[in-house]
Amino acid sequence: MKRFLAFILALALSGCAQHKSDEGHVLIGVSLLNLSNEFIVMLHRAMETRAAELGVKLIVNDAQRSADRQVQQIETFIAQRVDAIILNPCEVEASSPAVEKAIAAGIPIINVNSETRAVPTAFVGSRDEESARLAIEYIARRLDGRGNVVMMHGFMGQAAQIKRDRGAKDTLAKFPGLKLIAEQSAEWDRAKAMSLMENWIQSLGAKINAVFAQNDEMAMGALLALEQAGLKDKVIVVGVDAISDALQAVKAGRLDATVFQDARGQGQGAVDLVVKILRKQPFEKEVYIPFQLVTRENVGEYMK
Amino acid sequence: MKTWLSRFGLVIALLCIGTALSIVKPVFLTFPNLLNVVRQISINGILAVGVTYVLLTGGVDLSLGSVVALSGVVAAGFAHPGEWPVVVPVAAGVFVGAACGGINGLVVTKGRVAPFIVTLGMMTAARGVALVVSGGKPVSNLGESFRWIGSGAVPVIVFLAVSCVSWVVLLNLRLGRHLYAVGGNENAARASGINVEGVKLFAYTICGALAGLGGVVLAARITTGQPNAGVGYELDAIAAVVIGGTSLSGGVGGVGGTIIGALLMGVINNGLDLLNVSSYYQAIVKGIIIVGAVWLDQRKEKT
Repeated sequence: MKRFLAFILALALSGCAQHKSDEGHVLIGVSLLNLSNEFIVMLHRAMETRAAELGVKLIVNDAQRSADRQVQQIETFIAQRVDAIILNPCEVEASSPAVEKAIAAGIPIINVNSETRAVPTAFVGSRDEESARLAIEYIARRLDGRGNVVMMHGFMGQAAQIKRDRGAKDTLAKFPGLKLIAEQSAEWDRAKAMSLMENWIQSLGAKINAVFAQNDEMAMGALLALEQAGLKDKVIVVGVDAISDALQAVKAGRLDATVFQDARGQGQGAVDLVVKILRKQPFEKEVYIPFQLVTRENVGEYMK
Repeated sequence: MKTWLSRFGLVIALLCIGTALSIVKPVFLTFPNLLNVVRQISINGILAVGVTYVLLTGGVDLSLGSVVALSGVVAAGFAHPGEWPVVVPVAAGVFVGAACGGINGLVVTKGRVAPFIVTLGMMTAARGVALVVSGGKPVSNLGESFRWIGSGAVPVIVFLAVSCVSWVVLLNLRLGRHLYAVGGNENAARASGINVEGVKLFAYTICGALAGLGGVVLAARITTGQPNAGVGYELDAIAAVVIGGTSLSGGVGGVGGTIIGALLMGVINNGLDLLNVSSYYQAIVKGIIIVGAVWLDQRKEKT
């Protein structure tokens, strides 16, 4: 209920903030991909924290996965004459007009977490290919470069799926002893991944040595299926994202590894970069926040 | 007897696909794999049985997937280890589902708004409430006794129990006959003294309650309450019902067909995974089968 009231209040406040405040506050418009995604929620929190520290004000809009809505939000920001825009793009192509419009209006715009075809003022994010590379290299180390791997894809055709797929296949090519014996989409979803793993256990059974899931939700689903089949001690499971469930599972020795995508680093980095640009300080056009492999040895550093 | 005959085609289709699969992939016809199939369909099955009630009255419920998420999140909130006995989260989940269904039913009957619109609204609103309640994050750390509901054959038993009770209700109780009457011809039903509004309210409430139960089983199975869970589940459930021969315009069909429909979808899904068919083609095959099954079924009824 409290959250609900806070939500209403936030709505009302953002409605009031139609004009740039006269007290000299820096105003930054933020359009986020989807606030019902845990990673984006963490990204959002990191931005708010950093903004409060630096004394700048954020107007945060949720595009709810719709690039169309996102472009409208940017148009509103431009009409409000915000000082700068942080865009967490929904899509490579469809969100591009948002970037083009902001640039045309002379408002600096930076992309965070994912890219658009149109070139923004600057970019903060991580290379998705790298997350898959870290995961496959870890699997190769554990298996001494020899064994059968299955891969669970995200939603086919989404940027993260394409890049993690490319990263995984490029890395697999470096290990001739590792064989990809099955790959299938479980659409980022835990329940679907669980069913898929159950089916794979039937068709491939003891042949599977390792599972690479392109996100942690699917890794958790695969893990549950393997545990219920009594096979977990024979199969290595690795995910990506380091969501809290996965970190707990790594700590408990159930999940072998996950790859940490630094939401806080990206969120803070984005706000820092915007402030630099507005203060006319020199800035880098592309800031890459590295992924980090999380195993039982170092999981403590990531649990908060 | 006639409904049984018209369902024969579907059973034969199921047997054919099953036989083909067990020849190509012998592992298909093993006990663990068959248990897999029924376990994987049990959640869709529970939802499909629920939405059968609504479809029989000539309505529709698009809010199932969101109600699954909401009730899963609520149930998970009561299911942390050592806090409440396991009946509390289960009852909470089912109650939340029933409440959503009840609201759908009230707006449809008292407010006279089209079911498509009402449940579309509920689909959006329930998802929002699930996100608010959970703060946008999955609710995890669930107790052993709650997770038991999603393990082994328990989801299958829940699905079977739901199916049996619904079978009795629809075929043998007066309430069931009233459901068919309302779906068949609403005005005639009203003229013959049936409480049409009451029957519809009942259908939506049961549908919601079963979606709530499905949410509980799903949360137990994946050991978290997820505000994003269940996207698209309503369409899978409705697909299973119409494959099973229940008419979208109401009055014709039943739970038996729904179970076969859900089984058919589960077998196809399992088979395509066993054969490692690419995701792109899986989607195409499923689409063709949904339309094909209904088309065959309608042809049989006409001849």
